Amino acid sequence: MKIFFTWLFIISFSFAGDATFDVIKKVDSLPSIAVEDASISYDNTFKMQFFKALVADLNVLSIFNVDGNYRNINFNDNNVLVENKDMKYVLRYKMLEDDSAGFNVELKLYKDNGVVFTKAYKANKNDFYIFISHAIAVDINEFMGEASVEWMKRKVIFSKNVSPKKTEIIISDYTLTYQYKIIEGGLNLFPKWANQAQTSFYYTSLDKKPTLKQLDIKSGQSKAIMSSDGMMICSDVSADATKILVTMAPNNQPDVYLYNVATQKSTRITTYVGIDVGGQFMDDNTIVFVSNRLGYPNIFSQKINTGVVEQMIYYGKSNAACSVNGEYVVYKARESSDAFSGNTFNLHLISTKTDFVRRLTATGVNEFPRFSKDGDAILFIKNYMDQSSIGVIRLKSNKNFLFPLKSGKVQSMDW
Amino acid sequence: MKSIVLSSVVVAVLVFSGCSSKEPSVDASSGANSGMGNESAKGSMNGETSEMRIARLEKQFSSVYFDFDKFDIRADMQSKVSDSATLAKTEAKDLTIKLEGNCDEWGSDEYNFALGLKRSESVKKSLIASGVDASKITMVSYGESNPVCTEKTKDCWSKNRRVDYKLLP
Repeated sequence: MKIFFTWLFIISFSFAGDATFDVIKKVDSLPSIAVEDASISYDNTFKMQFFKALVADLNVLSIFNVDGNYRNINFNDNNVLVENKDMKYVLRYKMLEDDSAGFNVELKLYKDNGVVFTKAYKANKNDFYIFISHAIAVDINEFMGEASVEWMKRKVIFSKNVSPKKTEIIISDYTLTYQYKIIEGGLNLFPKWANQAQTSFYYTSLDKKPTLKQLDIKSGQSKAIMSSDGMMICSDVSADATKILVTMAPNNQPDVYLYNVATQKSTRITTYVGIDVGGQFMDDNTIVFVSNRLGYPNIFSQKINTGVVEQMIYYGKSNAACSVNGEYVVYKARESSDAFSGNTFNLHLISTKTDFVRRLTATGVNEFPRFSKDGDAILFIKNYMDQSSIGVIRLKSNKNFLFPLKSGKVQSMDW
Repeated sequence: MKSIVLSSVVVAVLVFSGCSSKEPSVDASSGANSGMGNESAKGSMNGETSEMRIARLEKQFSSVYFDFDKFDIRADMQSKVSDSATLAKTEAKDLTIKLEGNCDEWGSDEYNFALGLKRSESVKKSLIASGVDASKITMVSYGESNPVCTEKTKDCWSKNRRVDYKLLP
């Protein structure tokens, strides 16, 4: 018996940090939180918009059992509402529009009816309310001592098919609540942030010869980087933004190339005569990419200096896209092979150290996975029942959230 | 103790403020065939402009259709490619052929674009084998972004797995 518990102890701690294991948290075990609105500006519609956004963000944190009832209160009341007296936490906020139409939010967090955290927020106008909501959630999460969710504040950039050969590129928050159309007209695809600060992005223009362009957001200026026959796509940008992986086909052959931003020179990395696409940096000397060298699309790694190729995934009939974060690879696998009916594509997570596989989605077409920088969240595109959405998977809490697009179909995205 | 606005929020707001004061960088859909407009001004033969001739010839080229997740030319498509090769070597021999590879809706990732390109390449190889000048052929893949049919049916999907011919002066 002692040996059994010793083994149980060892196994528990060995896998405690492994994201490929499902983590089931009981809702009842999470602390409760209610939200109280003490706003004195803005109409009821906007008040409800902000309240719902905040409740949604708190839910995405996955550290609270969030009460979704909307209630008003005076901001300076000492006690929480009587309806919330049994709540472990109460978040009270006041929205106030100043003389220059600025959007101000004051915040108090109560624990057991005592104030434990306060903060004030300001934005140029209330159009940006969703970013304040995300910032509040990030702060509350930090106050609770949880692992960082800074990814909530990052901007999402995506291209949307609106009609044949017509797309739009849009910048939004991760819930698609705020959307800014940065490029419209023509066929522009595969936007990819060019740096950590998200001040410019690469994208593919297909209006003439496939061309990789870079657009500076503040100036609105776009410049051509390089062109290629066939296809030209920026697949990944190195953490220091000095190198990018591109898929191009100068000799009609789609391969992965490494492009040095400073020298403007590109080096061919993959050389297989079939399809090699979608390169992702794994470390300074290793890339992960999609290839059909086994007769179907699958995920491989390759050392940049030696060219040694290794198969990464041994599960799935057709694995055509992936994202890498440290030892983890999330990939898209086709679960059916049918030309005559709907197909299901699911996302799977694998650890390169343990080879355990965890399925992350269950229905529809789930594709274009993108890890957050900290590896705790995966953003992805979901198309199901004529509805295109951006989804967020929280690995540690084992929860998925979907944010539908009102019209059009998401073609590709980055965050 | 109240702290002041999060710096990152300020950054976000400033960035978006910057956006809103700028015109979006509109990549006007000038189109791959933008040169055709200039050519059309170059006179005509029997009342047919260069633009009209290209449009007429393009209709004579038949799109090549492919099986699901495949890029090899099906047996039933071989004769269509042969007919197109004959056309390319005769009536359209002075024009450049642009092969546009397309895919069905099952996937918006790079692999789907590469699949479209490999479909174009298959047609290109077949045209070259039939004697068409390789230097007169260019290729591009539109992935799933250029559907001719948007219904959720097998017939519709099969129409989108194709290579189209476009003629350039």
